[in-house]
Amino acid sequence: MHRLLNRSLCVTLQALGLVALGAGFAQAESTLRVGLNADIRSTEPGVNRDENTDTVMLHIVEGLVAHREDASVGPLLAREVQLSDDGMTYTFKLREGVHFQNGATLTAADVKWTWERYLNPQTQWRCLAEFDGRGGAKITGIETPYPLTVVFHLDQPSGLFLASMARPDCGGSGILHPDSLAADGRWKAPIGTGPFSLTEWKPGQYVVLSRFKNYSLRDDKGPDGFTGKKQALVDSLRFMVIPDPSSAKAALMSNNIQLLPNVSASDAHELQAMPGVQVSVSPIMAICGLLFQTNDPLLKDVRIRQAIAHSLDYVQMVSALSNGLSEPNNSAIPQTSPFYSATAKQGYSYDPQEAQRLLKEAGYHGQPIKMIVNKRYQQMFDMGLLSQAMAQASGLNIQMETLEWGTQLERYQSGNYQMMAFSYSSRLDPATGFDSLMGDKSKEPRKVWDNPQAQAVLREAVRQSDTAKRQELFDQLHRMMIQDTPMVIIYNGTVAAALRDSVKGFHSWPVSSPRLWGVSLATQ
Amino acid sequence: MLRFILQKLGMAIPTLLLISVMVFALIRLIPGDPALLMLGDMADPQSLADMRRNLGLDHSLVTQFLIWFKAVLSFDLGFSISTKQAVLPLILDRFSVSATIVLVSVFLATIIAVPVGVIAAWKQNSSLDLGLVTVATLLLSIPSFWLGLLLLNAFGIQLGWLPVVGYVSFAQAPWQAMSYMVLPVLTLTLVELGAITRMARASTIEVLRLEYIAHARAKGLSERAVLWKHALPNAFAPTWTLVGLILGNLLGGIAVLETVFTLPGIGRLMVDAIFARDYPVLQGCLLLITFIYVLVNLCVDLLYPLFDPRVKL
Repeated sequence: MHRLLNRSLCVTLQALGLVALGAGFAQAESTLRVGLNADIRSTEPGVNRDENTDTVMLHIVEGLVAHREDASVGPLLAREVQLSDDGMTYTFKLREGVHFQNGATLTAADVKWTWERYLNPQTQWRCLAEFDGRGGAKITGIETPYPLTVVFHLDQPSGLFLASMARPDCGGSGILHPDSLAADGRWKAPIGTGPFSLTEWKPGQYVVLSRFKNYSLRDDKGPDGFTGKKQALVDSLRFMVIPDPSSAKAALMSNNIQLLPNVSASDAHELQAMPGVQVSVSPIMAICGLLFQTNDPLLKDVRIRQAIAHSLDYVQMVSALSNGLSEPNNSAIPQTSPFYSATAKQGYSYDPQEAQRLLKEAGYHGQPIKMIVNKRYQQMFDMGLLSQAMAQASGLNIQMETLEWGTQLERYQSGNYQMMAFSYSSRLDPATGFDSLMGDKSKEPRKVWDNPQAQAVLREAVRQSDTAKRQELFDQLHRMMIQDTPMVIIYNGTVAAALRDSVKGFHSWPVSSPRLWGVSLATQ
Repeated sequence: MLRFILQKLGMAIPTLLLISVMVFALIRLIPGDPALLMLGDMADPQSLADMRRNLGLDHSLVTQFLIWFKAVLSFDLGFSISTKQAVLPLILDRFSVSATIVLVSVFLATIIAVPVGVIAAWKQNSSLDLGLVTVATLLLSIPSFWLGLLLLNAFGIQLGWLPVVGYVSFAQAPWQAMSYMVLPVLTLTLVELGAITRMARASTIEVLRLEYIAHARAKGLSERAVLWKHALPNAFAPTWTLVGLILGNLLGGIAVLETVFTLPGIGRLMVDAIFARDYPVLQGCLLLITFIYVLVNLCVDLLYPLFDPRVKL
């Protein structure tokens, strides 16, 4: 009887499993199933978005330019980009025969329409401030002299114009077909020129993209960051929302999904040892470190801030934080940036004696320093914990205060803290990286580094288009920042993706957002 | 009966009103700004102000409450701050997922646990009783997420019989939906089995000590008749109350299990809304949960006389 029951149970469960496999998993032989840790916010690129939204949308839409593998900016829908001598006019010549996913052919008029929509405040485009004069140069006009030529006029030269256009959080300034909107102007669905088109979004569950058969490939050898030859090699992509990391790991191990684009360092370590699974690691361009409130009665003394900087053993700390996947970097210029020079490599030295000397000189005698951490992002918590322990060895009394991430973000925004463990999301150009840290605290309390001289250098770096001159300016900023120590940058973090052996052609990269063109599935 | 129902529903109105005020106020006491959470570390003051204005967060709290409350009266719970979806269809859609799992699990747990509890009481202090009580206590002590992960590992990874993640509704594909339901339902059933078994056992033991049971036995009735016809109906009433409470609790969302099994239920929706400070979704969820609580308790009260004829409504 028992045996019969057991057998019945097995058969029933197997039958149910097969039904699921038959109907759910193997809908098509070449469906790549990818885990997302949260649902996307919307299907509107660069408007209501987060990182997952950007990831999905950048498979559907394409901008005039995009980031290359090394985070520099190259043409995408544009064939070439010309800059006028005065640095205030950009001319984009579009590639011929590029199709939208509804069959229409891309013209300069579509580019103009899309950009006018982005520049309309009612669209609520995330990056409007970068192009309306608030955050740099202002677009004063867009012209379409020829069907495949678009001209952008700016009110001042800007070294960041193309980089801002290419930003993933701006939706790559993806060019859309007007049919993406309903007749009443409301958002309908994205119709772009990317290698995949949107098939279905089931909120809270999954997003399905299908290969766009008439995708116009660039004449490049292969994929290059967000540009290059973006050939879709699978019939469809199924992004599955799996918020729990353990469940996501289980799904990968059981082949329910084939790719997890972002796993923690410890999970990466564990998954690497599993048969049938491999891990792809890349440094990213985030800025992870300890922020100081330089207006604080205690921490306004630069010697105490420098003492904290010297009390940290960066090699050991970063090795522990990243399971040996990352290296320390004390510069706001990420290690993978083309601007990461020998000067940027000159950071703080681990020197407990020097830390103690500075503390003595500053008259510090163990006053408590409150450091805010959160548990939403384990890496930030661990960074705070290790810093506290290391600083204690040099006589610093750092006390941790654990807050919920939303609360910490509010405290960061208002400048209401003494110290906090914090991570800035990836900034692909050093100027935007420095800009997020620098400013007048009386106007923007969230700014960490308030130094008018450094701000003047940054303004010049923003205006400047010449690479060599920008390099000099960034090096100068790095030296000034190490001297002022308004924060201690510890490292840039890594992204580790875990994938089944059947997934071919995928690799992580400094921009972090996974790219699934050029990725195929081997039959098992 | 009708008077009782109207009275209970009438009492629900001030409860819901009070809850709506409390929910609105308490949610806003949580530090954190939805606009800031959406913009993240890149939020400049202008963008933040624009975002707050677009979300209607620039009004005073009283104005925000009045706008929301007026809309609620016409069954409009507003739009999600994060996803811009209409809240009412969103939470009803998510609630249906939680409700399916909870109702099936509680039903299974009840039909298994009640006879088991009665048998354990009948064989009180025997090795069978000891075994059943031990298993029930064990099930009661195991955290649901851990049991879920164990089952996921066994049936999803090691044996590969069932899918590990995902969800398909019954309306879409019934058989496929069942395959996705097995593990969460099994986990929840096992977890609830412990509590119901113990309650059924305790109340049956109490009833078995009463004089009318001794009288029934003295009349020469068989043990089976004594147990199932005379003891169980009286012993079931307290268990039924517990089942009602469990049902009310679980229908409020099984966030942990929904997260482990990646089910798009109302619990996970609520957790996501808390993290994103998505006020309209959170308010809508809590309002619905309060209403469900009132409704479940009403149903339990109405069904009570069926099990215990001494109770009059």
